[in-house]
Amino acid sequence: MGVALDSSVDPPGNDKQRFTKGRQAPLSAIDMEFLAAPIKSAKDKFALVPEFLKVRGLVKQHLDSFNYFVNTGIKKIVRANHRIESEIDPTIYLEFKDIYVDKASVMSMGKTDDISPNTCRLSDMTYAAPIKVDIVYIRGSHDRKEKVERKGVTIGRMPIMLQSCCCTLLGKNEAELAKLGECPLDPGGYFIIKGNEKVLLMQEQLSKNRIIIDMDKKGNFNASVTSSSERIKSKTVIQMENQRIYLILNQFAKKIPIMVVMKALGMTSDQEVVQMVGRDPRYGSLLMPSLEDCAKEGIYTQEQALDYLESKLKRFNFSGSSSEKDSARVMKLLRDVFLANVMCQNDFRPKCVYVAVMLRRIMDAVLNKDAMDDKDYVGNKRIELSGQLISLLFEDLFKTMITDIKKIGDNILSKRSRSSAFDFAQQLTSDRITNGLERTLSTGNFNIKRFKMDSKGMSQVLFRLSYIGCLGHMTRVKPQFEKTRKVSGPRALQPSQWGMLCPCDTPEGEQCGLVKNLSLMAHVTTDEEEGPLMSLCKCLGIEGLEILSAEEVHSPYSFLVFFNGNILGKHKKPHHFANALRKLRRAGKIGEFVSVFVNEKQRSVYIASDGGRVCRPLVIADKGVPRVKEHHMQELKDGVRTFNDFLTDGLIEYLDVNEENNALIALYENEATTETTHIEIEPFTILGVIAGLIPYPHHNQSPRNTYQCAMGKQAMGNIAYNQLQRMDMLYLLVYPQRPLLTTKTIELVGFDKLGAGQNATVAVMSYSGYDIEDAIVMNKASLDRGFGRCILMKKFSGTLQKYENDARDRIARPYRDGPDAGRMRALDNDGLAAPGEIIRNNDILMNKQVPQVTRGPQISPSQLNIPYGNAPVSYKGPHGESCVVDKVTLSSDKHNNLCSKFLIRHTRRPEVGDKFSSRHGQKGVCGTIVQQEDFPFSERGICPDLIMNPHGFPSRMTVGKMIELLGSKAGVSCGRFHYGSAFGEPSGHADKVEDISETLVRMGFSYDGKDLIYSGITGCPLQAYIFMGPIYYQKLKHMVLDKMHARGSGPRVSLTRQPTEGKARNGGLRVGEMERDCLIAYGASMLLYERLMLSSDPFEVHVCKECGLLGYYSHKLKTGICSSCKTGDKMYTAKMPYACKLLIQELQSMNIVPRIKPEELEKE
Amino acid sequence: MDPPPPEAVYYICGDCGMEVQLKSNDVIQCRECGYRILYKKRTRRIVQYEAR
Repeated sequence: MGVALDSSVDPPGNDKQRFTKGRQAPLSAIDMEFLAAPIKSAKDKFALVPEFLKVRGLVKQHLDSFNYFVNTGIKKIVRANHRIESEIDPTIYLEFKDIYVDKASVMSMGKTDDISPNTCRLSDMTYAAPIKVDIVYIRGSHDRKEKVERKGVTIGRMPIMLQSCCCTLLGKNEAELAKLGECPLDPGGYFIIKGNEKVLLMQEQLSKNRIIIDMDKKGNFNASVTSSSERIKSKTVIQMENQRIYLILNQFAKKIPIMVVMKALGMTSDQEVVQMVGRDPRYGSLLMPSLEDCAKEGIYTQEQALDYLESKLKRFNFSGSSSEKDSARVMKLLRDVFLANVMCQNDFRPKCVYVAVMLRRIMDAVLNKDAMDDKDYVGNKRIELSGQLISLLFEDLFKTMITDIKKIGDNILSKRSRSSAFDFAQQLTSDRITNGLERTLSTGNFNIKRFKMDSKGMSQVLFRLSYIGCLGHMTRVKPQFEKTRKVSGPRALQPSQWGMLCPCDTPEGEQCGLVKNLSLMAHVTTDEEEGPLMSLCKCLGIEGLEILSAEEVHSPYSFLVFFNGNILGKHKKPHHFANALRKLRRAGKIGEFVSVFVNEKQRSVYIASDGGRVCRPLVIADKGVPRVKEHHMQELKDGVRTFNDFLTDGLIEYLDVNEENNALIALYENEATTETTHIEIEPFTILGVIAGLIPYPHHNQSPRNTYQCAMGKQAMGNIAYNQLQRMDMLYLLVYPQRPLLTTKTIELVGFDKLGAGQNATVAVMSYSGYDIEDAIVMNKASLDRGFGRCILMKKFSGTLQKYENDARDRIARPYRDGPDAGRMRALDNDGLAAPGEIIRNNDILMNKQVPQVTRGPQISPSQLNIPYGNAPVSYKGPHGESCVVDKVTLSSDKHNNLCSKFLIRHTRRPEVGDKFSSRHGQKGVCGTIVQQEDFPFSERGICPDLIMNPHGFPSRMTVGKMIELLGSKAGVSCGRFHYGSAFGEPSGHADKVEDISETLVRMGFSYDGKDLIYSGITGCPLQAYIFMGPIYYQKLKHMVLDKMHARGSGPRVSLTRQPTEGKARNGGLRVGEMERDCLIAYGASMLLYERLMLSSDPFEVHVCKECGLLGYYSHKLKTGICSSCKTGDKMYTAKMPYACKLLIQELQSMNIVPRIKPEELEKE
Repeated sequence: MDPPPPEAVYYICGDCGMEVQLKSNDVIQCRECGYRILYKKRTRRIVQYEAR
């Protein structure tokens, strides 16, 4: 609407409205505008995105989840296990009154100091805060007992997520953060464990406590519920096999006919069951075989059913452990394990209704295949966040601690004579919780037996190669289970992913489509209090299950209401009810993330307040008219309105994937009809952080965007503002630039402040033949000016250890002469390399010496003359390159040992073979470097930085790259950054090619971006006009210097005597099977013979002519001897690879006798 | 071989920038502010770098 009219040539800016007004002088035009005032341009809504990111942040889901755990979850755990009671004397107890996590701090020499995350990074500490409890307990023994109350007892230390509510960084401004050595752009959301930054990735899983209908491999219909209550987790499956319906539960050895279960639950009347499932005769006929089955078994009463179930129970091997009667066990099982999410005491009716609903859903699926659930549908997924994982871990550790304390207490109390008064509180302060948390987070192996959880690789070291890679890592979503490779369903793009998960950003290869990334505006919910919501629903007119007869459950004109998967009751006016609930949500009376979803097909209303749902904000519209008006946006601009105000005023709301089904969402305001309920805030927010960096992604072929997402993470650039304070392996770009053609996402995430690339002037033409297969030709003068120059920081460290016998490592004074003096050039007198010194491969960084005796009797510190051996820390780097010691730190580790770290800096300029890439998945290596004198130049004297082969375009179809070139060219000539946000043309976030061309013409270029170019070699104008302009190029971390490797003779593996493998071990290059095949096919037999028999592991063996076994050479008799024939008469020598001799011997060791019988000898 | 007599080498505190003298077996800590990370001072020898 408004946009289409005026977004032609004007620079997009927030004051566009005023700008147009000022120019259009005629009064009538102003009147027209005034009359059309309530219609605002869609572009303005964009301001909500930065506001959203300000409030929620890019990693808000991690922070929210952790904060929820620290503030609420941990208290819940402790409240559930608040009392330790001695079994010997129940009057002696310990009660936890409260638990809280303090601010992050460190204990050093008895006093607590505040600690900054950067200190932890530098000195390999864990960024953790004490967990404190308030306790009341009984101290003393038999007669003298006293009640003691203590506050703030530390029971362990909790690793703290950066920027969470326990973190010192929270709410600090840029200056304060800088003072703490922290980058203001750093998103936080990770932990620092022993100096390493660790991320707990989001885990994607199927939702808990929901009925999922699907078909298994045999074509049977399954209704499965993965129940998860506070006490127990179980999986209940109801399966339809051969027209009969069974229950599958782990605790039963066999499938149980469902009617038996119903009878055991107290529904002995078949009629009632049929009524409860539904009166439609089709349901009845489907249920018939099951009913008959049950009758055939002769089960009519609850007792009979329970007896039947009892006989089908899985027997445990250890008999006698179940002292209780088995029928009681069946009852308990039905109550606690079977559909554990449906809470009930002794009345099983809620479970009956639940089973009936499951049956009905199965039958719906049988009758109509569309009623099946899609497991890949995002609405059926939950994303588990770090807070939940840590909560599980903590619960396990806390419970273990409690049982341990109880055991210790009982042990002490059971002793007759106790010397001292027993004190529970003494047992609290142990390192168990601290160590458990730290170990699990640092290894990533969550092995929690209590919850049957054993998964590896849950925590990863934060990807710090580039700023954007780090952000991308924080928004990554990992699948929980290994999916079967063949099935394409889970890997495919789901339409319900829209706006929640990025459609572009997924790795290639094995994990393709399984690992996903959150979109820019997506948010993952955390748990919300259920109680008040449930009672509110009751108030809104839900008829509870208890007052409903079986017939009424599925009566027409009423919808069942589910709350977090449990049946709450039914409602006669479901739409009324849903709207009422939504109104309350918009008014801020209930949580903003509560979702209400009316499912017409299933005739039910689903209310969800559980954690792990993905949702996103949308503008609410009434009959197609958005509630967000121009004046709201003006207020936002003036700073009197925040994103939360938009929420509380009911202008914007969060919708999860299920509720989106009840909404009609218009992409733009002008596309809204009267049925429209919501309007997108900005279309480019469907992309994630990394895909958001691509300019004009909607003009590219889709796989190119996916490739770019993988490559954007490898681009070198600035990592953080504090990058030079850090002491770890880094790849830095010397002169990073912000892209000339930006997107809104780039500005939002701060990529313009921490760029990873440079704007190179690119000529798209053929040059020299060194540019085939995507290779690029580079201008030598540009490299001299600093294009693509990068710094590689490498960390080395050495620790001085203490040993059992009190001997210590020491640092020796360097030798100034002698054979080792050359390697010790960089060392100061303290034996540590000094910053600023040039260092080469194998030079010594730390002249450490290790005591030769580390065990046995104690050595007093005065004993100086114990023997020491050299164990220097030396620099390993590329041969022939000189690097510089950048920084050296000294700190002490946990055991108070001196730990010294060395940061070695290596500055590299691009060389032939280094990898570069534009932002469109167009990677290429540097093919050759050419003098600027030989480079083509334009009439204005513009000389490109690199030349790209035009063959890269036709098959890749990266039109976005061409538009980027045009846009950058226009931008650099008119002095304004141009935009290329995804789908941005209608809203003015992307410049149109038409406008760009106009700018180009205005600045004296051709409209199509082509220039007249002179050859640098001949000086003649080239025959064709050349497409030339700036493109943002990234230097990727793959550099030849790190990969280049060749060797002649060198180290060998001792077992096989073959050359070692890999660059790190200076290994050889293998002539493998396929290379061998080539040589065979070509007929180069002598070459093959040399490679396989002589160059690798030649060996001479002595073989016995008689028995064909290997013998040995006796040095005494100067002859070969066969050890089985015990003679040396008939020996001959043969040449074979050592590996072959090894094989023969290994076979012999397995009782297989290989005998060597050469044909020539046979003939004799 | 006798270990050389410990010679004073100066380090810089990571927090307050004070010069700290350390002997072998000293605790790594700034005398002034108690900060536990020390940096080594830049070499005083003449270094000739290759500009590339």
